[in-house]
Amino acid sequence: MAEGQSGAKTPADFLKSIKGKAVIVKLNSGVDYRGVLACLDGYMNIAMEQTEEYVNGQLKNKYGDCFIRGNNVLYISTVRQA
Amino acid sequence: MIAPKKQNLHGNPSQILPSELIDRCVGSKVWVVLRGDKEIEGTLRGFDVFVNMVLEDVTEYEITPEGRKVNHLDQILLNGNNIAVLVPGGKPEDS
Repeated sequence: MAEGQSGAKTPADFLKSIKGKAVIVKLNSGVDYRGVLACLDGYMNIAMEQTEEYVNGQLKNKYGDCFIRGNNVLYISTVRQA
Repeated sequence: MIAPKKQNLHGNPSQILPSELIDRCVGSKVWVVLRGDKEIEGTLRGFDVFVNMVLEDVTEYEITPEGRKVNHLDQILLNGNNIAVLVPGGKPEDS
């Protein structure tokens, strides 16, 4: 489907632009994962590094490497860094 | 018997495809209602065939029994899977 989105930032563009950046991934369950995005694909499958798991806003776990299957992802967010 | 006239989608200017409507929202504020007591408002930057959306300056509302939880985010890629409703122009009682 061709969409007339000239100058728009499509999901594919966004995915390309955030590789290697700090991100927050929220799952459908409400759990947050904060870390550095190692790689990802069109299914929103994600590999992250230095990952921190937040449940109800509280840090519960840390993982050096983690994989998130894309079907669980609600959103991927960039982190505004000072 | 007379066969019904074929509707010409392009002949009537009042007929807009859903994807065209979303395309017209690119660059403006939208209010997205998700399945399961969640709402998201932000500026639409782009979308794809699954209506996954890139949003900027995002406010996330979570309706819980204890009240409304609000969360601000810079730029997000929202999975289209859970989207129920998309309203152009943003949240109505935006204050």
